[in-house]
Amino acid sequence: MKPANLNIVTHSIINLGLWFWFLVALLPFFWMFLISLRVPVDAFSTPPKLFAPVTFENFRYIWVEDGFWRYALNTTIVTAVTVVVSLTMACLAAYALSRYRGSIGFWLLIAAMVFRAMPHVVLLTAYRPAFFELGIWSRYETLIIVLVAINQPFAIWMLRAFFMNIPEELDEAALVDGCTRWQAFFRVIVPVMWPGIVTAGLFCFLLAYNDFLISSQLMNGDMSTMTAALGSYMGQNQSLARLMHGIAGAVSITIPIIILVFVFQKQIVSGMTAGAVKG
Amino acid sequence: MKRSTFISFVAPSVMSMLILIALPLVAIVYLALYQSYTQMEIKEVKTEVPLFGGMTREVIRNVPQPVMDDAGNPIQVWEYVGTQNLKNAIDTEGLSSAFNADQNINSTRSFIRALFDEIRDVDFWSALEFTLIYTFLTTPIIIILGFGLALATNRLTERLRGPVVFVTLLPMIVTPVVSSLAVYWLFVDGGVIAASLEAMGIGKFYFLADQFTIRAVIVAYGVWYAAPFAFIILYAGLQTVPEEPIEAAIVDGASPWQRVRYIVIPHLTPLFSVIALIHIMDSYRVFEPILVFGSRVFANSVQYLTYYTLVFEDNIHKASAYAILTVLGVVVLLIPIMIRTFKDQKAGK
Repeated sequence: MKPANLNIVTHSIINLGLWFWFLVALLPFFWMFLISLRVPVDAFSTPPKLFAPVTFENFRYIWVEDGFWRYALNTTIVTAVTVVVSLTMACLAAYALSRYRGSIGFWLLIAAMVFRAMPHVVLLTAYRPAFFELGIWSRYETLIIVLVAINQPFAIWMLRAFFMNIPEELDEAALVDGCTRWQAFFRVIVPVMWPGIVTAGLFCFLLAYNDFLISSQLMNGDMSTMTAALGSYMGQNQSLARLMHGIAGAVSITIPIIILVFVFQKQIVSGMTAGAVKG
Repeated sequence: MKRSTFISFVAPSVMSMLILIALPLVAIVYLALYQSYTQMEIKEVKTEVPLFGGMTREVIRNVPQPVMDDAGNPIQVWEYVGTQNLKNAIDTEGLSSAFNADQNINSTRSFIRALFDEIRDVDFWSALEFTLIYTFLTTPIIIILGFGLALATNRLTERLRGPVVFVTLLPMIVTPVVSSLAVYWLFVDGGVIAASLEAMGIGKFYFLADQFTIRAVIVAYGVWYAAPFAFIILYAGLQTVPEEPIEAAIVDGASPWQRVRYIVIPHLTPLFSVIALIHIMDSYRVFEPILVFGSRVFANSVQYLTYYTLVFEDNIHKASAYAILTVLGVVVLLIPIMIRTFKDQKAGK
């Protein structure tokens, strides 16, 4: 839609509102970055200071003394494997769902939608006694397989929307040429699906990376992920020094996300609009 | 595609969902039907208490101790209690007494008062109360705000749009625990907002110590967190608005506002309902701000209540009862979406 020509007053008010949102959207992050580089006295001073001496002590402490690098390593392992496994399974399922005409396909999608809406704590309630009984507590495999399952409903819906855009004539041509369904899928469909796969992968990554509820309960001690480890710095009765370390940790978690949004902005937007705008 | 091929393609994904999502849903129903405790028994414990001169006296005390099985582990007793856990969770007794309370002249007023007391005093109802307040306050606000932002961004030049979209994505994409913390640190006692207001002479605010302000801050967080979602969808939707009717409207002398009101909004109606449905589903699960703000007393959510019962009270049976109620809520919210999908499916065939 082309923007309308408005008089100068309305135009300025609209722009002012937009800049105000710009500030509001950034303020919490801006302030968090700012105070993470300060000593506690400057971070929570009255009146607040815009300029204060810069120190990297909070970051040094949390990464070196508190061993945050270990949690970062755990996060890397868990998210990387989760993304690869989730995508592989979801691609197969989503492709089949986009090509199959029977009614089980429809009911499967409905079930996936219900599963996607499930609050994670509902699942956690059942996992706690079961995993404890099975003795598979606090292991990479356990968290990964749980995150993969939780990712499935969402990934299936998103990928299906992308597969629907690939004309069926393409697979039919491959089938006529003597491919099996599997060969057609891997040799013909997957190569043209890469943009969709990257987009879905981003969202799988975000879900695994951002998860606090499940990760903080399934993993403990040295096995924690970064986001879950942040839990031990929270709470209203922490000392100010510990709070500052928590802020440095929070900033450390945010930086990769900001880079991600910067690099993949287009894919993120297309992923969000894939289901909604087209259908 | 043949049915057998279809099944082999979807099998891994379906298996994972069956085992790790569907099975737990069954398991919570089972867990909620039971009550468990460690079996205790009163044991006589004899101890020799030294008296003077090397003499001792035998003292017998009755001490409760867990009963051990052959392997030396304490025995957990599981007792079937039927729907008792669920009844406790929604406080059926309190509800029925509120309904049957004095049927005299002031009955309506006293009934409403009893109902309010019930909502305030019973964990589940107060959690549900704030969850619904949060959901139904944020939904219209994010749609209006998102739409306004989309229209405003649409007026910008190509070069400015990228940065606006980038900044707008951040509140939504950044780890919710972190973004809740970032907002929390703004409003914490002595944080920048409270300190600025004090320095400006407006007054001393303790945002986190009062029910009204803490709820307002959490709702504001919810808007800040979810408005970008509405914005992105509506901004993409704006790009699909056809030019012809708008040009026709300009020729007919419609004002910019009339064009938005009578052409753009009707065109985007399906998107508004999609946003509302997805946001209602997501905000029903609100968890991180409640956790981070430590606002359980003033503003609880059904998901946090279940989490708290599970993790801090360590009571899986009570938590399961809350979880079942949470699932029922989700299903109620999902019914309109399912009907819509069903209709789409029929129309597609």
